[in-house]
Amino acid sequence: MKTIEGLSFKRKIFFFGALFVLIHIAALPGISYSDTDVQEKLTIYVVNYPLKYFAERIAGDRAKVVFPAPSEGDPAYWMPDAETVAAYQKADLILLNGANYAKWVRKVSLPRSKMVDTSAKFKDRYITAEEVVTHSHGGEGAHAHESLAFTTWLDFDLAAKQAGVVMEALSRKKPAAEDFFKKNYAALEHDLLALDNEMKSIAAKNPLLPLIASHPVYDYLSRRYGLNMKSVHWEPDEFPSDAQWSELRAMLKKHPAKWMIWEKEPMKESAERLKAIGVNSLVFDPCGNIPDQGDFMSVIRRNGENLKPAFQ
Amino acid sequence: MIDSIYIAWQYIRFNKIKTATLIACITLISFLPLSLQLLLGESERQLMSRAVSTPLVIGDKGSSLDLVMNSLYFSDEVPELIGMEASERIIESGLALPIPVYARFHARGNPIVGTTLDYFDFRRLKVAEGRNLAVLGDCLLGARVAENLGLKPGDSLLSSPETLFDLAGVYPLKMKVVGVLQKSHTSDDLAVFVDIKTTWVIQGLGHGHQDVTNLSDPTLILKRSESNVVATAKLYQHTEITKKNIDSFHFHGNTSVYPITAVIAVPYDDKSGTILRGRYLSRNETLQIIKPEEVIDGLLQNIFRIKNVLDAVISVVALATVLAIILVFALSLRLRQREIQTIFKLGCSRLTIARLVSAEIFIIVLTSGLLCGVMILVVNQISNGLVRMLFIR
Amino acid sequence: MINIEKLHFSYLTGDFHLYISKLNVEKGEKVAVIGPSGSGKTTLLNLIAGIIPVKNGNIRVGETRIESLNDAQRRDFRIQNIGFVFQDFELLDYLNVIDNILHPFRITRTLTLDKDVRGRAAALAEKMGIGDKLKRQTNDLSHGEKQRNAICRALLSHPKLILADEATGNLDPENKDRILDLLFQAVDEHEATLLAVTHDHELLKKFDRIIDFRNFQSKEAV
Repeated sequence: MKTIEGLSFKRKIFFFGALFVLIHIAALPGISYSDTDVQEKLTIYVVNYPLKYFAERIAGDRAKVVFPAPSEGDPAYWMPDAETVAAYQKADLILLNGANYAKWVRKVSLPRSKMVDTSAKFKDRYITAEEVVTHSHGGEGAHAHESLAFTTWLDFDLAAKQAGVVMEALSRKKPAAEDFFKKNYAALEHDLLALDNEMKSIAAKNPLLPLIASHPVYDYLSRRYGLNMKSVHWEPDEFPSDAQWSELRAMLKKHPAKWMIWEKEPMKESAERLKAIGVNSLVFDPCGNIPDQGDFMSVIRRNGENLKPAFQ
Repeated sequence: MIDSIYIAWQYIRFNKIKTATLIACITLISFLPLSLQLLLGESERQLMSRAVSTPLVIGDKGSSLDLVMNSLYFSDEVPELIGMEASERIIESGLALPIPVYARFHARGNPIVGTTLDYFDFRRLKVAEGRNLAVLGDCLLGARVAENLGLKPGDSLLSSPETLFDLAGVYPLKMKVVGVLQKSHTSDDLAVFVDIKTTWVIQGLGHGHQDVTNLSDPTLILKRSESNVVATAKLYQHTEITKKNIDSFHFHGNTSVYPITAVIAVPYDDKSGTILRGRYLSRNETLQIIKPEEVIDGLLQNIFRIKNVLDAVISVVALATVLAIILVFALSLRLRQREIQTIFKLGCSRLTIARLVSAEIFIIVLTSGLLCGVMILVVNQISNGLVRMLFIR
Repeated sequence: MINIEKLHFSYLTGDFHLYISKLNVEKGEKVAVIGPSGSGKTTLLNLIAGIIPVKNGNIRVGETRIESLNDAQRRDFRIQNIGFVFQDFELLDYLNVIDNILHPFRITRTLTLDKDVRGRAAALAEKMGIGDKLKRQTNDLSHGEKQRNAICRALLSHPKLILADEATGNLDPENKDRILDLLFQAVDEHEATLLAVTHDHELLKKFDRIIDFRNFQSKEAV
């Protein structure tokens, strides 16, 4: 049998040429030229859980959605480290809530071309947070810009619009999957608008019902569903101080609420003391971070169930 | 021939001063137009390539040349400032990617260029050492800046006050060097890049300090109301952004009106570019949109008109020098008449005498040529930086 | 060695006219040529050497008829057969001693400069007493040394005829004697003939014969 060395120059060329072609043909099954789009998943980084949920519902298996904020704490006040910022920079898309939600965005460098402000289209409907004390310098200095309410997704009509912006951004990035994204968005929009209707119907039972919010995070919920709500600054895991109790009592004199809405289950002592003065507690989780159980939809539905007793 | 060259060489060596003068004259008169040609060619290349690679620039309606020179080459001539809304307007149009640029401040003589991360992708700049910008206060050095200042990732760089007489104005900010860019042989090598928000901090539009709403020292508070607290100038503001104090950093007012010097617009396609240009044609428009290529082309036309004049002047000078050199040789021959007669008497032919003189001229011209060649090579090596130093910055 | 017959020469300008009906110099003779300034002594040397072409008359050096040679031939003949020693030495100040000696070999293709010639040049210089100064520039030499340098240059090509034009004119009395002795010694060693123009009557006794140019002005030969 002849070895390769024994072949003539022309035959060597033919042999290696054939080998080259064979290798490439053999490699073909590993590469799906008709569907490279599907193989290349988009990497999407988000700043809060609602956006993560929307992106996952819409993108399906066409994207990997990353939300690196710690599971404890409010993502709005989280500050990523340099490595995490670098990871955001490398993403295909960076979904922002808008309304100055993620305070850290103004302190880091992110590529503008990848950033999507999901609430920019309705910035004329932003709510100024009246309870925040701003500051300025000197006689005529401008105020620090910290006075916008940012839980826009609690207005489920606006949430649907935010999801729409997510769908458009994904479609621009992956035009071949536009129909897929639209289909998924339609389903998500249906679910969000169903939530919207559900909330409306709950609130409609008692439109003027006075409510107290433990924290001023329900502005968009309040506006959309016509809730008669005032806020204090109480933490669920801290027993309020005497001054805080006094403030509440003074508030109750003008705003006789029977229910206080908490972001999460309050301390037993706080709930009992509230009960003693005629104020019941219910939990309406704003769902800004990943829930311990369930998903966005199940959490909001549970929130709705929690609200029902108050409006009956 | 070798003998003629040997004798010529001995003559040249003996008459060092005369020879050196002749070589200097010929070298200079050859070097001047060639080096000018080289430098102008290099400046044309640098200016044009940078300009061609930058599709559109938006800025204040003023000198378009100042606008281009500042936004592309970071020249010290700062055009009138425009608001950040100019960049947002382009995002909203959906026609181009806007890259805002704020090139106003300096750090140890090097321009600080505030921009966004898109700039680095647009200019195809890669990080050679360290990492890219991530957090407020980070700075990314051009390759030459790092070399000249001896800085590397982890070091600090202080921004320079705009003027010594306005201590309450632009604050020196201690920036953290996080990376060094690869050499690009463009103006980017000589710049200090920061996030545009960092330039606003340098300007004093953003800062960090204690929580004003919780101050105990009454001398720090000018006025307090239910919704706002006014702090006095005594309130200490951080001059460096660290992990510990970054949470305290914030911006006052609406960032849409925050200043920038220009916006580089990268249209998504030709049609978008045309539509975008059309949107700035209104008489009421306060901004201008320019194609840097057109501006630089106009500048080069003027430069080359001047070059033609320079060429004419150099030609006249060259002619005069050549005539002077011929005169020197002629006088030299006359002075050597006796020597020529001697060697003629010894048996040297007129052809050999001509060969001897030619050999001298050959050596002088060759030496001048080599010297000129070496000088041109040196100029070629440094032309990149020299052009930037002489013509661009 | 030298035979001149019916030689007429005059310059285009001026009244000068040289006429020599007959002049002979034997081989190995050391002949002095004297006469008043402007009498044509140097002109005669130039005619013999072929520097000035002979238009009218005959000059034979050895077997060669100078008047029949063209410019190039006269040049070649001159450089191979005639050595010159000048009053002002006529050395090239930009060449050193050895290069001055070798100079004739560098300015013509008729003579070939090789290792042998370099050796002879060094030996000649040694004999003339300037062997230790080969690398010195001529400006660093005394008058006597310069003339020795010039004599070496004249002798290097083994010329048959040495033409010396006031060779001792710029030397002090002590050096004149010594240089002339050296020249005569070298001429003897090389079996050459010497024709020397001189104004120095004190040296005439050293020569074999004297040609007085006062006899040549439109008169018959010696």
